[in-house]
Amino acid sequence: MKPFAARGGLRVNPMTRRLAGHLARGLVMIWVVTTISFVIIRNIPGNPVLGQYETLIERGMSPDAAERATAALYGFLPTGTLWEQYTGYMKALLHLDLGQSLSTPGTEVVTLIGSATKWTVLPVLGGTLLSFVLGVTLGVYAGIKRSGKLGDLLSISGSLLHGVPQYVIGLLVLAIFTTLWPIFPAGGPVDVEFVPGLNAGYLASLVQHATLPVLTYALASYGGWVLAMKSSVATVLGDDFILAAELRGLSRGVLFRYVARNAILPLFTILALSLGMLFGGAIFIERIFNYPGLGLLLVNSIGTRDYALMGGTFLVTTMAIIVANIAADLFYAVIDPRVRTGGAA
Amino acid sequence: MTTNFPQAESAAVSPLVAAPGHATAPGVRVKDLTVVYRTPLGELPAVGGVSLTIEPGTITGIVGESGSGKSTLALSLLNAVQPPGRIKGGSVEIDGLGDVVKLGGDELRQARGRHLGYVFQAAQNSLNPLKTVGKQLLDLGRSHGVDDLRALVRDAKDLLERMGLDGARVLDSHQHELSGGMRQRVGIMLALVLNAQLVILDEPTTALDMITQATILRIVREVHKERGLTTLMVTHDIGVAAEVTDRLAVMYGGRVVEHGPTMEVLGAPSHPYTRGLIRAIPRLSGDIAEAQALPGRPPTLGTLPTAGCVFRERCPLRMDICETVDPRPLTHDRRTVACHAVERSHSTAEQEEYA
Repeated sequence: MKPFAARGGLRVNPMTRRLAGHLARGLVMIWVVTTISFVIIRNIPGNPVLGQYETLIERGMSPDAAERATAALYGFLPTGTLWEQYTGYMKALLHLDLGQSLSTPGTEVVTLIGSATKWTVLPVLGGTLLSFVLGVTLGVYAGIKRSGKLGDLLSISGSLLHGVPQYVIGLLVLAIFTTLWPIFPAGGPVDVEFVPGLNAGYLASLVQHATLPVLTYALASYGGWVLAMKSSVATVLGDDFILAAELRGLSRGVLFRYVARNAILPLFTILALSLGMLFGGAIFIERIFNYPGLGLLLVNSIGTRDYALMGGTFLVTTMAIIVANIAADLFYAVIDPRVRTGGAA
Repeated sequence: MTTNFPQAESAAVSPLVAAPGHATAPGVRVKDLTVVYRTPLGELPAVGGVSLTIEPGTITGIVGESGSGKSTLALSLLNAVQPPGRIKGGSVEIDGLGDVVKLGGDELRQARGRHLGYVFQAAQNSLNPLKTVGKQLLDLGRSHGVDDLRALVRDAKDLLERMGLDGARVLDSHQHELSGGMRQRVGIMLALVLNAQLVILDEPTTALDMITQATILRIVREVHKERGLTTLMVTHDIGVAAEVTDRLAVMYGGRVVEHGPTMEVLGAPSHPYTRGLIRAIPRLSGDIAEAQALPGRPPTLGTLPTAGCVFRERCPLRMDICETVDPRPLTHDRRTVACHAVERSHSTAEQEEYA
């Protein structure tokens, strides 16, 4: 948009080029991560298929019968060298086939991950966005009123909350709102008596169950946002252009917007990264509130040596982080003109 | 406040020759101004009891080494000394505004930009990096209650084109798309576009290359003349001051030690510090060894003597009285000098005249 003059000439859209580069790099990264996780997973001690096979033999089955029974149970037998398994895995991956779960025989890994993702996205997104908005807003005030009582109060509360581990906050929230003052359900994603869909009962139950995990996410990350925003605001306040704006007699509202918009820029990167990370790292909260999200799925799959499920969960987590990175970078190009034109300030 | 923007009609004829509104250039009378900075050692004066009269319509230069208090003095004219500094005493009377030290709140904010234009050092980023120059111009207009924003944009374009830039293109640009010289012209435009009549330039050519520096100085001189401004230019470059200014104030250790017409101050410096400064300038023709550096180092806030002359440690004319008594600025023949030695030579000269 050029409101002051029309600029002619065709140029290669830098955004398109940027996006293409990101996608190429993202694909390479995904390949690297899947390869590494494949090798690591196959080298974890404990082989569930072999375990099943041996159990059947111990029960008195003949080796042939045991092999057939195991193959029937899992749908396949992991035979061949590691390399053959790897190429098979990669070929399947290209067809978006993550294979069958070993711990829940007969279920596609994609199905399991799909249903778990649904339960992770809701509280993660809700909690993170809530704490981001709250933390950033309060952080601006903490930065501007650094030497006042309100600023001190905000900084101290931020530091305290920032220092408490997520699971401690989770347990406290659980204890307070389900035992001391039982107004929220203790666990699970939704009450079973409701029919899933857009009906009032189901949605209400959904919100009720999501409240405590969201609250925990929000409390656990709020402190970080306050502190990050406060220090960012303090930096921008010391910039020359703020003094220049003040000396030009710009109104308080304009000055506030100048400070806030410049200060929030670096926080968007942190936001995107933490959203990506939370996809895999919400294990404690999902455990505490018995929320069947990706974190819980990952822990369970590791416990049962479910290779396919482990690989699939790692893959989803990796992709979430890579997508978050690309999104952050593209978003930057929208909000920061220095990035947009590819120039350096 | 009472100013409107009738420039639209006159713009077509001659955009800048007659700046409308309050057409008279304001005079400035700084009296006994003391600015202190809070430090762990207590409040230390960066500007110590400075009195300085700036005649309407002149370009006055303030020269001095880093830390001499010249930028602090310049900021005081907008009552904009930044914490931990504060104006401890004295007054800054500006025609049409009164004592700006007493101004505050919205009154002060309106005075900045409308009556007082401030231009930063070119290397400092004085623009919001996220917004185009044009959008920041509109922010400026809205902050000062300008009704006709179209006329404001037109004035800004005229000013930019007057300074040799493509106005429309510059207004569409972000800071990072402009060169140092272009940024500086944008800074001058933003200082003048609301018809400020007192313009303060803080090291306007520092960190610019020689060609751009010459261009900016020419622009400052021409715009000053065309718009009938009172201009104050802070610089550490005596060459720049000699080229542009009518009057020159030399600062040392938070005092104005000498003040007078530029050519007289530079041609026949009275204060030993000014003499030392001029001797320290290397000449293009002649031996580099002829330039003599001033011995010693300038005082910092902490090492500034609390009694007596602030320059005595480096002074070749040091006398007993310099240890205890701060020399008062005395005006003699259009020149103001604060030095015991100069004072004494004047009085002996006068005695000789009578004899």
